[in-house]
Amino acid sequence: MGDRKPDILQGTLDLMVLKTLDALGPLHGYGIALRIEQVSGDVLRLNQGTVYASLVRLRQRGWISSEWGTSDNNRKAKYYAITKRGQKQLAAEAEDWAQIASVIGRILQLTPR
Amino acid sequence: MFKWLRIAASRVRGSVVRRRVDEDFEEELAAHLGLMTEDNMRRGMAADVAAREARLRLGGHAQLRETNHDLEGLPALDTLIQDIRYAVRMIRRRPSFATIAVLTLALGIGANTAMFSVIQAVFLRPLPFADSNRIFVVHRVGNRFGGASLSMPIFLAWQHEGATLFDHLALVAWRGSSTLTGRGEPERIPTAGASTELFPLLNVRLALGRDFRPEEGRPGGPNVAILSDRLWRRLFQADPTALGAAIQIDGDAYTIVGILDKSFEMPLTGVSEADLWLPIRVPLTSTNPSNGGLLCLGRLRSDIPRAQAEESLTRPLAELRGRFPNMFMPAERATLEPLRHFIAGNAGAAPLLMGGAVALVLLIACLNVANLTLAASTGRQREIAVRSALGAGRWRIARQLLTESVVLAMLGGVAGLAACYALFDAIVALVPANIPHVGAFRIDAGVLLFALALSVATGLLFGLAPAIGASGLDSNAVLKNANQRAGSVHGRLRRALVANEVAISLVLLIGAALALQSFARLNRVQPGFDASEVLTFRIEIPSQRYSTPAARQGFFETMLARLAALPGVEHAAVANVLPFQGGSDILFSLEDGLGPDRRDRGAANVRRISPEYFHALHISIRAGRGFTDQDRSDTAPLVVINRAMAQTYWPNRDPIGLHIWLGKPMGPASTEPSPRQIAGIVEDIREASLAQLPEPTLYLPYSQSPSTSGGSFIVRTTRPPMTLVPDVRSLVRSLDTELPVTAVRDMPAVIASSTVDWRFRAVLLSAFGGLALLIAAIGVYGVISYSVAQRTQEIGVRVALGALHRDVLALVLWQGMRTTLVGVGIGLAGAFALTRLMANLLYDVSPTDPMTFLGIAFLLSLVAFAACLFPARRAMRVDPMTALRYD
Repeated sequence: MGDRKPDILQGTLDLMVLKTLDALGPLHGYGIALRIEQVSGDVLRLNQGTVYASLVRLRQRGWISSEWGTSDNNRKAKYYAITKRGQKQLAAEAEDWAQIASVIGRILQLTPR
Repeated sequence: MFKWLRIAASRVRGSVVRRRVDEDFEEELAAHLGLMTEDNMRRGMAADVAAREARLRLGGHAQLRETNHDLEGLPALDTLIQDIRYAVRMIRRRPSFATIAVLTLALGIGANTAMFSVIQAVFLRPLPFADSNRIFVVHRVGNRFGGASLSMPIFLAWQHEGATLFDHLALVAWRGSSTLTGRGEPERIPTAGASTELFPLLNVRLALGRDFRPEEGRPGGPNVAILSDRLWRRLFQADPTALGAAIQIDGDAYTIVGILDKSFEMPLTGVSEADLWLPIRVPLTSTNPSNGGLLCLGRLRSDIPRAQAEESLTRPLAELRGRFPNMFMPAERATLEPLRHFIAGNAGAAPLLMGGAVALVLLIACLNVANLTLAASTGRQREIAVRSALGAGRWRIARQLLTESVVLAMLGGVAGLAACYALFDAIVALVPANIPHVGAFRIDAGVLLFALALSVATGLLFGLAPAIGASGLDSNAVLKNANQRAGSVHGRLRRALVANEVAISLVLLIGAALALQSFARLNRVQPGFDASEVLTFRIEIPSQRYSTPAARQGFFETMLARLAALPGVEHAAVANVLPFQGGSDILFSLEDGLGPDRRDRGAANVRRISPEYFHALHISIRAGRGFTDQDRSDTAPLVVINRAMAQTYWPNRDPIGLHIWLGKPMGPASTEPSPRQIAGIVEDIREASLAQLPEPTLYLPYSQSPSTSGGSFIVRTTRPPMTLVPDVRSLVRSLDTELPVTAVRDMPAVIASSTVDWRFRAVLLSAFGGLALLIAAIGVYGVISYSVAQRTQEIGVRVALGALHRDVLALVLWQGMRTTLVGVGIGLAGAFALTRLMANLLYDVSPTDPMTFLGIAFLLSLVAFAACLFPARRAMRVDPMTALRYD
């Protein structure tokens, strides 16, 4: 992959954040950014600050909630957790995503005659 | 939808608790950096490298904060709040400017807001009936008598035809007032008539009891009455047992069957004040074609188009014309007019005139404040240039200035609303009482909303010119030239504004002057009779206790004889109706087909009078004779005509001795038993209104016209008329304790009541014209004194170079008067175009009367001159040394 940083669509980041919280439970912003980078196998190198815009958007839509808490190493941090509505939304969006991905995948597999 | 709301709420919260959200975010970022730095150090980085690497991975701090700001708050609102904060600061820095601006706007907005409460009630507020947009007044266009009232045969025909078109078809009638006796002093109660379907048609539920039953709406049906809430409270102290109680109305016993709700109103002229509702007796057939003051209302079925109903109801009119050829015109058509529209249409020109006048006042106020703002912004050119040089865009600067204007206008609106509340009763008292309206004139949510919208619109209106002017400045030029010639940038615009102010106030003033002259000339009109020293009052005679014509005749004769015997009474007379109080007209046939075009019938107003009538009013008899006590029901039937009637129908002939037959063209039912001989001709008097020329009128001796049910007495005295009142009251009581004496006034008051509309227009236009003049004078003063301040240096140079005081004076005065004269020119042209719209509101003065135009133009110039004089004198006293050191 080299130095190429894939551009990620805003909505895609939102979806990734939502899924991360769904899979791993409450996390702080740094944790979320770290997990997304790790899971992507370091394909994605985020400007980690961008997760905060995502978090604000998700919170405003009521899909996640936030709460101040203490991290493992005793540092005060804001923890985010997915809400019921967020899980519903995630299910819907994941399905959409899968569909689009499979369509795009099939189209990309078309071979020239 | 909900999502959108949730986001909006969150954003609003963010912008309200801005600081907390910011701190929160900062803390969160700090935590992020801390966590990452620790991780980095754990991976073996040095502390400073770890921290730098963390900052790098997080991204630009300022940018993150900005993004969060935009997401969490309302960026537009933030700028607005910033603008408003700045605007308030700027306004507070110039208190005298702000005070004048706010006061001017308060006058304009306050007057308009009060006026809107009137406009709303007259034109806008919907009727208080369910589905009121389906209620129509059903009447005829092109009918012989004009107006919407109709006769019983038409209603019967429409009822038959309309059964499939309307949910309900009903009649409502103005009944004047009726005499209530048996509950204390006899009194007159304003009364209306309703056919049985009226209340269901209106969808009105009574507060107590029931509405009229079908049998009560037939001739000979039981006497029942419905009371207004007000009358019920007054007569019965709101006692529910009033239902079923009997009251005496015009001598008959009526049973109370219902009480209307407190909120019930029927905003038709003459009906709106009714406290007593009696059934209209609708016969099965009718041959009486005369208009009974009946108004037909229909609730159109929702599936029937209006045009179809009109079509269907026009058909029976043709058939009716066959039965009553003289009562119907060939082109007559039925028409359905929405009731709300009908009511607003009866309001006449007064509310529109008021609305137009106050709108002009507001426009002048706007121009004036625009002017002040321009003056102020001229002083701020440096500030604006600096802002623009520092990178503020044109739009940003214009928006800042507009915000200031709107904030100023809102302050004006608040002050105006306060003025409106304070002066509300006085302003509403200006509205003629007879204007029909729905609901009270009041300051409600709609009016408040109007005031708010008006304030914002006003602010934008007067702020626009200064904002555009200021944002277009060349900042380099301003900054380089510092204070020099800063004033000339807006000078032309400001002079144009003032010229327009002058022009508009000239239009208003000319309108006011024309209305005033009309009123003054009207008051000088001689009605043709002598109104001084005449007392009038009215007595209604119940037809039950005075059931025969002879009994009524007897009462009147006794009254007149006893009145004449009172000390100081010269003449006592009675008439069915006083001059200026309306009356009825009648068709008659000319026995031998005379008149200029050999026509065989004519129309004239009818007055039924006692013999002393002409003497009591000093109306001279030109030919033949008046009536005497010897003209009785069993002597030859007579009629006296006025000069206008003689000239209209017998221009080349002496009509005395000829016979006319009253009512004959209206069909057998309305025809008098025998023709009448013309006994005399009397001088014309004006009695429709002072502004109207006398119309053909015929007088009948009341002894020979038995339909008389009541009378207005006319007493000529040698003492002040009103001192006679106690004597009159005790006299009536001694004859009959159950007769109320009403409408006790002297004759001049009767005449004055006929000119209230004229006085209203004159007072109103003068008040607003004066207001406009004041504001325009402030405008002229403001512009000139500001320009003098701007030119202090130049004037100083002139004086130093030898200019005399009077040169300086002339220079400044000429500058002011040039602007004024331009305005006067525009104003004269505008008035020339506009005053003709009020032509039919004027009396005996041309809408383009040259003397009025020139006189008012001169007056206005004089005021402007005075307004220039103060700054000019200040300019004269400029000390050249001080002026030159000024900068």
